[in-house]
Amino acid sequence: MEALEINNEVDDGQVVETKTLQLIAFSIGEQIYGVEITTVREIRAWNGATPLPNTREFVVGVINLRGTIVPIFDLRARFGDGQTSPTKTHVVVVMSVGEKWVGILVDAVSDILTVSKDDIHNVPEGNSVDTDLLSGIITHDGQMVGLIDLHAVVAGAQIEA
Amino acid sequence: MSELDEFKATYFDECSELLNELEEQFTAIEEGDRNADRLNAVFRAIHSVKGGAGAFGFSGLVGFAHEFETLLDFVRTGKIEMTDEVVTLCIRSNDIVADFVGAARAGEELPSDHGAEEKARFVTLCKGTKGDDELDEDGEPMEEFDIEFTPVMVNLEPVNDSGKEGWLVEFTPHRDLYARANDPLLLLRELAELGDVDVKVILKTIPTLADFEPFGVYCGWEILVPGDDVTEQSVRDVFEFVDGDCDIKITRQTIAEPRDDADAMAFDLDDDMPSFADLANEITPEVKKPVPVAAPVQSDPNGTEEGKNAAPVGVQSIRVDLDKVDRVVNMVGELVITQSMLTQQMDDNLKVHYQELVRGLEVLAQTTRGLQDSVMAIRAQPVKSVFSRMPRLVRELAGKTNKKIRLEMVGENTEIDKTVIEQLSDPLTHMIRNSADHGIEIPEKRTAGRKPETGVIRLSAEQAGGNILIIVEDDGAGINRDRVLQIARERGVVGPEQQMSEEQIDNLIFAPGFSTADEVSDISGRGVGMDVVLSNIKKIGGSVHVRSWPGAGTRMTLRLPLTLAVLDVMLVTVGRCPYVIPLSSIVETMQCSRAEFGHMPTGGRVLQVRGEYVQVVDLATRFEMHTDVEDKHRFAVLCEAEGSVKIALIVDDIIGQQQVVIKSLEENFERIDGIAGGTILGDGNVALIVDVQGLRSATTHRNAA
Repeated sequence: MEALEINNEVDDGQVVETKTLQLIAFSIGEQIYGVEITTVREIRAWNGATPLPNTREFVVGVINLRGTIVPIFDLRARFGDGQTSPTKTHVVVVMSVGEKWVGILVDAVSDILTVSKDDIHNVPEGNSVDTDLLSGIITHDGQMVGLIDLHAVVAGAQIEA
Repeated sequence: MSELDEFKATYFDECSELLNELEEQFTAIEEGDRNADRLNAVFRAIHSVKGGAGAFGFSGLVGFAHEFETLLDFVRTGKIEMTDEVVTLCIRSNDIVADFVGAARAGEELPSDHGAEEKARFVTLCKGTKGDDELDEDGEPMEEFDIEFTPVMVNLEPVNDSGKEGWLVEFTPHRDLYARANDPLLLLRELAELGDVDVKVILKTIPTLADFEPFGVYCGWEILVPGDDVTEQSVRDVFEFVDGDCDIKITRQTIAEPRDDADAMAFDLDDDMPSFADLANEITPEVKKPVPVAAPVQSDPNGTEEGKNAAPVGVQSIRVDLDKVDRVVNMVGELVITQSMLTQQMDDNLKVHYQELVRGLEVLAQTTRGLQDSVMAIRAQPVKSVFSRMPRLVRELAGKTNKKIRLEMVGENTEIDKTVIEQLSDPLTHMIRNSADHGIEIPEKRTAGRKPETGVIRLSAEQAGGNILIIVEDDGAGINRDRVLQIARERGVVGPEQQMSEEQIDNLIFAPGFSTADEVSDISGRGVGMDVVLSNIKKIGGSVHVRSWPGAGTRMTLRLPLTLAVLDVMLVTVGRCPYVIPLSSIVETMQCSRAEFGHMPTGGRVLQVRGEYVQVVDLATRFEMHTDVEDKHRFAVLCEAEGSVKIALIVDDIIGQQQVVIKSLEENFERIDGIAGGTILGDGNVALIVDVQGLRSATTHRNAA
């Protein structure tokens, strides 16, 4: 059934393309965040990373992704909630940001959401960290889902001298 | 890419090779080597450039190259003397040909009068010679294609000086000969200069109209060259350029032989051969087959000029897309990793029980290493390809600055990885420009300083261990240290109280504060674009070092890795994390418990090694890693950075030596201070490569701040 649904959406062509958005939703603690599905390259279980010296606390380290070195960002730490102590059940979502591939460390991947673009709310003015890191907010099943601005998340990784 | 574009691309590739060769030949000629082979090589190269240009309709290039060729031909045949003036003109013209090729490649048009002055001089020079009737003066680019109506200087009357000896030349052009824009008529004319030749055309092979192929080649010639004094070689020389594009048979003949038989002979020659053979053997007549000739000469390791006579047909090399080679290199890199992973998996238990497996793994290790070396060798290229651009640069600079500069080049055949070579062009250009601009003084000043009027820039390449050293040296004024230091202080690169050694001052020219030309062009020292040098060289994992002797000159040394892909490293741990240190920079390692440390007022440590005090960098502190290893159980790795400056890195443990494939951190992340890159270990984990030079300069900088 699911497969059929997806097919329908694809076949619908333009309408679907312009009006709706598919998200991969993942959780950090209780909160759910999402990124656009087309940017996601791979989802893998946490399997350790080599720490990078002189980087900010939200840079977990680098991993070997089939021969290329990919940095991993701790999304919890990025939001200022303290560093995650990763276990085997934690998940790394590998995404492409521009030309680069980065991984973000999250607690779990929860769902694939299809939302209408019209339903994206602006991030309310307030804490600058929130407005910087999120590009929008959507409501799904009565829950708030923050849309991650990947470019902002990966910026400023090095400790300024 | 259309087919034509592909042909064009190939043509331009060939052109750059030819231009490099030309540059080389001219350098030798300029140095006084008047060997005829050199001129012939030049002539051939220009001819090839022209031929291709004609095919693609680059009329400006064809026109110029043609006039140039005419001049060269006169020089070659001795009608024009090879004076210095002519040499200079030729070299200048060579640059112009390069300009034309460059413009054609970029799809640009040069001003229509480009090279007109030189062209006019060609004509003047050529006019003064006895061969001027051959010269076409209208300068029309395509005139070489409509020469068939110019008077033919061959004598078609049979020469019946019976009893006289001569050469019977049987000349059957192939289709390729015409395809390469050669004209048999020119060859016949040239033959005619050897004496009163008797030319007979062989038309027997012309098929019936139905079978006639428009571009087919059906006729050949028989030419009887009389004269006892004409050598076989001189006859052969005429056909030098069409070697491989035609069948040539040269046999000694008595002229008296009835010419009527010639037709028959031409076609049944194979049967008749035995009768000629004995007579002919002494003078080695044979149908020239290009391949066997080409093979031994082209592989001539000294790359002497004879090699270039070889016909293009002798396939000794192939053109391969660089991407394809890179793919192989990458895969071999992965293979190396897998192999070392397998080796690491072998524990003692396995080793006892599976000896065959162990042996197999050892063989695999050897083969992998061999494979890796061979793959690297494919990518290696002689630095010549970059060096050969420099003579022109120096000539131009000398002209602009009114200085007299001679460029000496040594070790052009040193081979480096292609990627390194590509990155080398800009830095070298800047360094040479710098030497010519700021290093070498104007002639008057040099004479006053009791130096020879002509300044020398010496460009050399050599291999030193796992590195290639490229050295640019000049005998100019050297760096004005006072000014450099003064400017450095003004710009805040150096603190007001900071004392610097002479060497440190010299190296200040690479400091970021000295980065742009405008800021420093007024100092008599250096600084033009030197940041480009440093950043380019650093990018490929190399280092730059400068030394200067006031009044006597400056030497800049580029230390480059042999290859970018593989690195011999020492694997260490710091705070339980793996780090690797390039083996090439390690001098020695020692246990901290046996090392003698001294303490500095600021709390820093120095290591005493054989009477020398060396700055100590604790990697755990530097990289903010937590370590629980006691100090006495840790190790000091003594490394040598640029300019023989040593630095001691303190690590937790030394694991061993291995080969790693360098992976970029910047590809997905950004550059990190003190880290030169990453690599993937046998267990699949990432290890970081310690940037020894970066650590050293960063620490110096911090201390300075």
